[in-house]
Amino acid sequence: MIEIKNLTKVYKLSKKKMQELKTKETIKRAADNISLTARPGEIYGLLGPNGAGKTTTLRCVATLLKPSEGSVSVCGYDTITQGEEVRKNICLLTNEIKLDPHFSPKYMFQFFGKLHGVDDETIEKRRKELFDYFGISEFENKKIEELSTGMKQKASIAVSLVHDPKVVIFDEPTSGLDIITARNVTDLLLKLRDEGKLVIISTHIMSEAEKLCDRIGVIIDGKKVIEGTLNEILEATQAKDLEDAFFDLYKEHHKEEK
Amino acid sequence: MKEIFKKEMVRVLGDKKMIFSMFILPAIMVIGIYALLGQLMSGMISDVEEHESIVYIQNAPEGMQALVDAVKYNENAKITYLNDGDSVTEYKDQILSGEVDLLVVFEKDFLEKFASYQNAGDAIPSVTVSYNSTENYSSAANSKFCSTVLAAMEAQLLQTRFNDLESLQVFETKEDLIQNEDKANGQFLAMMLPYLITFMLFSSAMGLCVDAVAGEKERGTMASMLITPVKRTGIISGKILALSLLSLISSAVYAVSMLVSMPSMMKTMAGADGDALSNFSVSPLQVIELLALMASLVLIYVALLCFISAFARNTKEAQTFVMPVYMVVLIAGMMTMFSSGMKTPIFNYAIPVYGTALSIQGIMTNELSLVQFGLSAASNLVCSLIFVILVVKAFNSEKIMLNA
Repeated sequence: MIEIKNLTKVYKLSKKKMQELKTKETIKRAADNISLTARPGEIYGLLGPNGAGKTTTLRCVATLLKPSEGSVSVCGYDTITQGEEVRKNICLLTNEIKLDPHFSPKYMFQFFGKLHGVDDETIEKRRKELFDYFGISEFENKKIEELSTGMKQKASIAVSLVHDPKVVIFDEPTSGLDIITARNVTDLLLKLRDEGKLVIISTHIMSEAEKLCDRIGVIIDGKKVIEGTLNEILEATQAKDLEDAFFDLYKEHHKEEK
Repeated sequence: MKEIFKKEMVRVLGDKKMIFSMFILPAIMVIGIYALLGQLMSGMISDVEEHESIVYIQNAPEGMQALVDAVKYNENAKITYLNDGDSVTEYKDQILSGEVDLLVVFEKDFLEKFASYQNAGDAIPSVTVSYNSTENYSSAANSKFCSTVLAAMEAQLLQTRFNDLESLQVFETKEDLIQNEDKANGQFLAMMLPYLITFMLFSSAMGLCVDAVAGEKERGTMASMLITPVKRTGIISGKILALSLLSLISSAVYAVSMLVSMPSMMKTMAGADGDALSNFSVSPLQVIELLALMASLVLIYVALLCFISAFARNTKEAQTFVMPVYMVVLIAGMMTMFSSGMKTPIFNYAIPVYGTALSIQGIMTNELSLVQFGLSAASNLVCSLIFVILVVKAFNSEKIMLNA
């Protein structure tokens, strides 16, 4: 289970950054008092435009960032004081986190397995299962830099799951993938959910969120503006689909801000 | 830590291209460059010796040609004798352009003026030698003419004036060379090796560390390690140990190639120093001291380079950040090349990098005391530890590691 309580993440802005953003503010609130709970056996979707704070929130969950205020706990472990225990229970996959291109998927799988403290026998068993599932067994000894984008993404997902984590965090999991690979990934997320794992994804693809997510939290400008199942959100916004609901929420939020 | 260490080693040793570029190519390059340098130098020397010098001599005293032949000035020289009144301006211009090597102008009635000398203060005849110091052929022609023809002529004329030349010699200087043979044999290495070792170790470590930290940040592979349960100190220790070992092996390849090829190059060029290098030997204790100093030095370099690279967003930026440090290391190594022999204060051995260069110099001249060695090694280790702590702090900073 993931429990986020009043999470706020503040960045100090450099003069250069202030000029870039054309602002006089010296700080940026990437996450602003966000609270949410996600449970095992569900896919929780964080929805929002670019720069809304989705990745910051996920990075806080994965212990890469420390909250400025509030707290985050994963499987009962606090991300600040029990980071090591949190990392044993999660996997994080984003576009910015990649596998070393100089090694083969097989080597990377074994390497990360050992970093997670998994024994050799289990590593081999999981490697066979996951590589077969993604159809990358044939390329397991090739260097990652020689693989296609889709293959690289599949290898990254397989490696991230080496330690069979209870919480799977994917930041924009299908971004940049072809339709077949994207389908493979979404199928896997559903499979993981059905196995009882907590899957949390961030996306700005509305159709993907509609299809995959059991519950959705919409984040705009660092604030969570709504949370619920698809039906609950559509009911609250009186919109015909998630895209319309999102636009209504976006407009309303900016009206309030003004 | 073990897995990170293993991964860094596999990254280099598992890649044929990396092995070739880090360990084989440098050896080939060093041996090749030194062999080429030796050949070029000896070629240049023999070219100057075999060159057909073009020499003009005006107002040559009687018996000049016989003297030139007797002293075997230069079998390949083409000497043209000029008369008094001939213009020499044209030849001076040709010396400037490199077409003529030497112009020797004896004063008119040279021998008569010599003969008319009676008392101190009387006028003595002069000889003007014109040459171009920027032209190797001209410089060589000048020094050979002065040391053979003119020196022989002077001796001949003195003989005529005083009959017994030996009576002019009032005392004899005897050279009694007292030196420590080990120091004498290692003097050349003592000048070169500290600089080469300090700079080679840094060069070897630079590429590896920049790629292992800034490169991993740039490729997004560092973050993938940061989200594993491994402690950041484990990641850093594994990296630093592996990178130190690889840098040490790489610079050992450089050093061995240099030591193998240097004597033959020196022999080709001069002969004497080459012999000194071949006579040079070190005791097992000195080898251990040298290896320990190199190991402690590489630890500082690797920790410092990892620290600097952690601040960079990519390898290009890291290389820019590292450049000023590279300059400092070069200067610290070079400083030992210009020591005047004055006693070095003991605390200098505790200055990281520079102290190590001094200690390596001491090993080569067989003068390093255990206290000096201990100070250098200890200061390196303390300095490395400080940098390791700083790297850990940098790795724990989300702003530095994730550019957050």
